[in-house]
Amino acid sequence: MSAPTVTPERPRIDTPTAVTALACVLMAVALWLVFFWVPNDAIDGFRQRIFYLHVPIAMTTYLLFVWGAINAARLLWTGDLSLDLKSYVPMHLGTVFGTLTLITGSIWAHTSWGVWWYWGSEELNSFLIIFLFYCAYFMLRFSIEPGERRARYSAVYALLGVGLIPVSVAAVHLAQNEFHPIVFTDRGAQMANGMLFTFLVAFAAVFTLAVSMYLVELRGKRLDERLADLRRRAAGRA
Amino acid sequence: MSRGRALRALIRKDLVIELRGREVVLAMLTFVAAAFVLVRFGLGGQEVAGGTRAATGLLWVVIVFTSLLGLVRSFAHEREAEVWDGLLTAPVDRALFWVARSCATVVFLVTMELIALPAFWLFFLQSGRSPSLPVLVAAVFLADLGIAVLGSFLAGVAAAGRASEVLLPVLFLPFAVPLVIGAVTVTAGTFSPQTSDFTTLEGLGFLGLYDTIFALLGWAMFEYVVED
Repeated sequence: MSAPTVTPERPRIDTPTAVTALACVLMAVALWLVFFWVPNDAIDGFRQRIFYLHVPIAMTTYLLFVWGAINAARLLWTGDLSLDLKSYVPMHLGTVFGTLTLITGSIWAHTSWGVWWYWGSEELNSFLIIFLFYCAYFMLRFSIEPGERRARYSAVYALLGVGLIPVSVAAVHLAQNEFHPIVFTDRGAQMANGMLFTFLVAFAAVFTLAVSMYLVELRGKRLDERLADLRRRAAGRA
Repeated sequence: MSRGRALRALIRKDLVIELRGREVVLAMLTFVAAAFVLVRFGLGGQEVAGGTRAATGLLWVVIVFTSLLGLVRSFAHEREAEVWDGLLTAPVDRALFWVARSCATVVFLVTMELIALPAFWLFFLQSGRSPSLPVLVAAVFLADLGIAVLGSFLAGVAAAGRASEVLLPVLFLPFAVPLVIGAVTVTAGTFSPQTSDFTTLEGLGFLGLYDTIFALLGWAMFEYVVED
């Protein structure tokens, strides 16, 4: 009788790993395009290249907040508590990307307008209000014990933020005059094809990076929850 | 019990508690007067450099902070004295608790402003033009409604967390930024003869939009705030 043969398990490429690899490739291509391929802007020159990072990061931040709010609404609608993490993780990542938006926006403001912060820019200021709201979301979340109550109250506050987005934009518009560069108008993108291509690749890279971070963090948080649950059960048996 | 009767009973409860205890309005009045004096001396006896607009900005910042004194006491009695459980057993729509609390907060704010606005004019603006009263009243009422609707809702949310008195201002202030922008735009416009009717209407329209959006969201979601 021959000994049982053990076939070594082939390493499985799961979704988070695949998306992370794709994000790395896209980011490398995007950075190469931004720094070595795309031509200088006719007016702003080399410094305009921060546009290819700042705008995709800002757009990704909004998408993350929208995804968090959609999952918050689904949680309230269905009562499915597993959606809590799917709402919290995009909010968390949105705050990280939001910080990057404020930093890159500040650098762009300094190179273009000579000041680190310009209170006349509608986009920067409405973004700042929304960013403050998401910081407050964490204060609420971590002041409630984990469980059903935390999930429910976090979801309610996240959905209230959806109302804040149009209101902030309208308020800042009411208060200020226009100064922020507008690249995307209702007549399409106001840039050359090469620049648009670079922008699209940069957006794909930043967005894929956000998706990979979302998947990895979601997996980590679920493992945390399972571990805490096992610990509780072990303590109960002892 | 019909909705109207239930709402009247709930508003009456809040007002009677305030009339007997005098906890909120007196504290707000003292705070707002002290804040104006503080600002006046903080300016070193100078006029506000930015003129009427900057002065009305100061007014609304002080009003928002003053309103927090009243908002942190929202639902406090109910929760401290275990009245909440009794209220939840009442056969009425739970959103009515929030509507009633918002109405009571508007009453408290208006009472405070009846003293605060003349005091503000006396301290900061008496050498300038007089404001257009109907527009001023409309702007103050719409802004108060926004503070009350959103603040009462968030007071219910903050009550779920630890140290709700600290949490409420953190949750509320990001929402107060657009409100202050709208209120300052309209209020400052009432002092200036150059302000067009369109600008005034745009500002009032914005405040109305703000109130409507958060009233609808509050009405739709308050039942999740009082589920337990």
